Amino acid sequence: MSSARGQQGQKRRERSFFDFTLLSVVIFLLCFGLVMLYSVSSYDANLNYNDSSYFLRKQIISTVFGLVVMTVVIFIDYHIWSRFAFAAYVVSAVLIFLVLTPLGYEVNGARRWLNLGMSLQPAEVAKVGVIIFYASLVCKLGKNLMTKAGFAVIIPTAGFMALIILVITENLSSSIIVFGIVFMMLFVASDNYREFILLAAGGILIAAVVVILVQKGILSSDLNFRFARIEAWLNPEAFAADRGFQTLQALYAIGSGEVFGKGLGQSMQKLGYIPEAQNDMIFSIICEELGLFGAAVVMLMFIIMIWRFVIIANNAEDEFGALIVVGVMSHIAIQVILNIAVVTNTIPNTGITLPFISYGGSAVVFLLIEIGLVLSVARSIKLKNS
Amino acid sequence: MQKKLAVSFLVILLAFMGLSTRLYAINRDNGEQYKKQVLSQQSYDSVILPAKRGEIVDCNGTKIAVSQKVYNIVIDSKTLNSKNGQYLEPTLKAIFDQHDVNFTVSQTDIRSYISSNPGSQYKIIAKKQPYDAVADLMVMINDHAQYPDIKGVWLEDAYQRTYPYGSLACDVIGFVQGDNEGAYGLEEYYNDVLTGINGREYGYLNDDSNLERTIKPAENGNTLVTSIDVNIQSIIEKHILAFNKEHENEAREGNGSRNTGVIVMNPKTGEILAMASYPVFDLNDPWNTDGLDIQISEEYVMNGIVPDVTEGSGEADSSDEALKEDTGEETAQEENTQEENIQEGISDDGTATEPVLASSQMSYTAPAGTELTENTEGVPTDKPKTYEEAYEDAKLEALNSLWKNFCVNQTYEPGSTMKPFTMAAGLESGKLTGNENFVCGGVKEVGDHKIHCSNRAGHGPLTFSGALEQSCNVAFMDMGTMIGRDTFMKFNRDFNFGLKTNVDLTGEALTNSLVFDINTMTPTDLAISTFGQGFNVTMIQMITGFCSLINGGYYYQPHVVTKILNDDGVVVNNIEPRVLKQTVSRETSDKIIELCNNVVSEGTGRSARPAGYRIGGKTGTAEKYPRKRGNYLVSFIGFAPADDPQVAFYTVIDEPNVPTQAQARYATLLTRDYLTELLPYMHIFMTEELTDEEKAELTEKQISFAVSTAIEEGDSEEEASEDSGVITNENGEEVNISTGEDIITFVDGTNSRDYEKPELQIDKESGYAIDPDTGELLDPVTFAPVDPTASNLE
Repeated sequence: MSSARGQQGQKRRERSFFDFTLLSVVIFLLCFGLVMLYSVSSYDANLNYNDSSYFLRKQIISTVFGLVVMTVVIFIDYHIWSRFAFAAYVVSAVLIFLVLTPLGYEVNGARRWLNLGMSLQPAEVAKVGVIIFYASLVCKLGKNLMTKAGFAVIIPTAGFMALIILVITENLSSSIIVFGIVFMMLFVASDNYREFILLAAGGILIAAVVVILVQKGILSSDLNFRFARIEAWLNPEAFAADRGFQTLQALYAIGSGEVFGKGLGQSMQKLGYIPEAQNDMIFSIICEELGLFGAAVVMLMFIIMIWRFVIIANNAEDEFGALIVVGVMSHIAIQVILNIAVVTNTIPNTGITLPFISYGGSAVVFLLIEIGLVLSVARSIKLKNS
Repeated sequence: MQKKLAVSFLVILLAFMGLSTRLYAINRDNGEQYKKQVLSQQSYDSVILPAKRGEIVDCNGTKIAVSQKVYNIVIDSKTLNSKNGQYLEPTLKAIFDQHDVNFTVSQTDIRSYISSNPGSQYKIIAKKQPYDAVADLMVMINDHAQYPDIKGVWLEDAYQRTYPYGSLACDVIGFVQGDNEGAYGLEEYYNDVLTGINGREYGYLNDDSNLERTIKPAENGNTLVTSIDVNIQSIIEKHILAFNKEHENEAREGNGSRNTGVIVMNPKTGEILAMASYPVFDLNDPWNTDGLDIQISEEYVMNGIVPDVTEGSGEADSSDEALKEDTGEETAQEENTQEENIQEGISDDGTATEPVLASSQMSYTAPAGTELTENTEGVPTDKPKTYEEAYEDAKLEALNSLWKNFCVNQTYEPGSTMKPFTMAAGLESGKLTGNENFVCGGVKEVGDHKIHCSNRAGHGPLTFSGALEQSCNVAFMDMGTMIGRDTFMKFNRDFNFGLKTNVDLTGEALTNSLVFDINTMTPTDLAISTFGQGFNVTMIQMITGFCSLINGGYYYQPHVVTKILNDDGVVVNNIEPRVLKQTVSRETSDKIIELCNNVVSEGTGRSARPAGYRIGGKTGTAEKYPRKRGNYLVSFIGFAPADDPQVAFYTVIDEPNVPTQAQARYATLLTRDYLTELLPYMHIFMTEELTDEEKAELTEKQISFAVSTAIEEGDSEEEASEDSGVITNENGEEVNISTGEDIITFVDGTNSRDYEKPELQIDKESGYAIDPDTGELLDPVTFAPVDPTASNLE
């Protein structure tokens, strides 16, 4: 009885493992994000919509909805998703193609959204889809992962998804993120280094060549607006009036924040100087209002979150769960790094949002779904030394 | 896999550290610079919130000058060009769809401005548009939800001065030019009162280096309540216009007169009820030169640079010839006037030697173009002007003379309207008794000069009253001799000749150099002064002085503004009638009234009497300088009703455009025309029996008339006043008014009889007695009027 009871108790304890650290970090970032969103967007919202909480309200609704979905996902056994892995890939691709139909609509000149009763950005769906699909695929390939057969399956599918996101939604950043997620998942799953280092080096080399060509004026901004962004990145002051404006204003915001910032709500740059500061550039306002200290705290939170992902992935019940966590970790890490890199003008401007903090309904809902998946994986961890 | 995860985590950590370093580096290297940059791009620039200029209203509250809120449309190229020009087309379409807006710049110019000045944030494309024209645009600008692409355009508040009555009382009101700056008339004189204080919206950095924006609201200007009555003003202007239209182009090209001026005043307060002159201009468009005769200066034309193709130069070129023709005509004309025996003034040898006169005439004729011909011949200018410059000068000169207020700004020799003043001086000083008899032989020799009477054949024997009735110059020269130079000049000073009246209108002419100097005055000067020649006055001086002759001797400061109200309609300054001095006694005043009544009932002023009324007054016909050109200034000064003057009026026609100018009839008839309408409007009852002819006239003019039974009473009263008039003379010598610094105080007790009112009400507030006639406050001991508001005025 006692042993049975003990076994039962152990079982219960195993079952009841829950990564409260991760959840706390997520909730902290969400709340912090809402506070900052209100601070940043209220001026613009009041000016354009006569309602200073316009953006805040919409974001709260998305966040609450996301938390509900997350809770549901936590209590669903994540193994179920492997059955829908292929479907997730197909659905993601179909949704991206739907942007071309009348269901798609434009915001600020970019056609990236679907109107399905509620607005939805298919690229966000694709990120979750890719994580599940490749976690499942890599498990199925097993030892064949690093063989020609493995490459023959992985490279076209990943390339196809990245390509349609780039071409159809003209969204380079999402394309890079999808590619990055797959890259990281494969890197972690395999035992090899050489191929990945070569690939990374190759990517960096191509980027460097493009930058040099732009710098020399061989690839001019007339060919593609992305080259114009590279020009602006190289010399933001020269394009202070137009292309470099947003970047330069973000730098002013960061530079004027000092160690502890001007205080919450005291940003001057949000008053019409940084266009749409609530989206990509929210981190610059965090630096201006809360200073380097505030920026460090935010970055620390993300590091804790990634650390928790590493822990969960290491202890996951099976490879599928571990790979899901790796995928989510890649997604969030890449997005945070790229966002801060853009804001600090370390890389050219691509529209990447800061997870949990930037304004964006689809993004927060699907991020919370991903967190739900991770917590679901965490729930299945067997505690050994109970 | 665990190893790989550790490697990944390490890579991510490295990336975070790299970014942290980057953040730190930005703050370390550029922190100060970026901080300044952030502060420098904040908008501290202040926006002016315009104050509303105060209104001008007439005595009944009718608005004569108002300021309306209008809007300037301003575009911001920087915003229009932002976001790849996303806002450009929708915004421009919205702007150009406003078809009621009167753009100062064409559509193509606006477009090219936006593309060539991408950094500009302030460009006015339409000025002072009324609300109706921009109402739709205003909705679109403010409704971001519905019109998200309308950006880079905004409306700036401004005020537009408008004058609902157009040209009515234009010389009195004046206009506003440039940045809320009054020009001429009340607008200029009371500019500080009307302007208000502009507000400002501005930004500043507080202690925490945060930008704060503050609004200091505008203080609107004060409203002027004037004594002008729009109805009276309209009546006067209607008849002035009618006269000038009637005689347009009659004897020469141009208006019916060089100038026509009329002032209507309340003799018991000095308030100006109407002041009009002709030609007029539209206050809403004062720069309009249509119908102006722009004459380019002679010197310029003589330099021969201009081909005589333009209107201006053509006329000026021929003026030499015209001058000759003129002189020829005038000789003939002079003969005419002599035949008609109505010419006044003096012979050529009598005036030519007067230095004062010469100087005064210079100042008078200077503004008028053609008279300069003789003087300017052969005088080379330093720089030859271009035709445009010369034309511009001439245009400005013509406009300035148009904008001037003839009634206040212009000086002239008054002529025979001076005669009541001469008589008042004689009676008041006791040098004349009123019982004198004169004999006019048509000419009197004074000094070395023979000075003719208006009637060269002579008026024969004349009574004191007859001298005024017939306007006999010889009799007045005799009176001048009796009065003597010192007394005459002392009284002239009392009547304010040579001084300003300080009427509250811009640019009152100063006549101190245009009157005789008592130390250098010759007997000839004295002789011609008695009938108003040789010295200059302004219309406002004459009417104000004349009012003191008929109101019991009180010299009121003439004024137009009676109250100043603030933006909320609260009285901030009440301008009470203000007695400056006592010119003559009540007795003298009564006598002058009687004498003036005789002029209209028996003498030269007969034609001025409107149907149904008895009035008093005096005509004037003054030959202008240079003499013998047939140019006259005819006038009539008077009051109504005859027994109790309620209203005083003065009509001056400068060079009526008729073959024979020397006829006061033009002034008396004009006076009669406006009085016929004015007196019924002022609720002054008719006292005289109407002839059938007069009834027909009144019916035609749609003026209601009722012959009351009061006629009999009126007649008997008149008789009584005539009797009492004789008595006055005996008191004349005893009248003792100190005319020095302490002007108002009466010294002589004998005169106080006139001011002893049996039952005087006492004003509870001030403790002064109230004059039942005028409502003004009197000193309870001396009965001299006091002015409780004196300290409020300048």
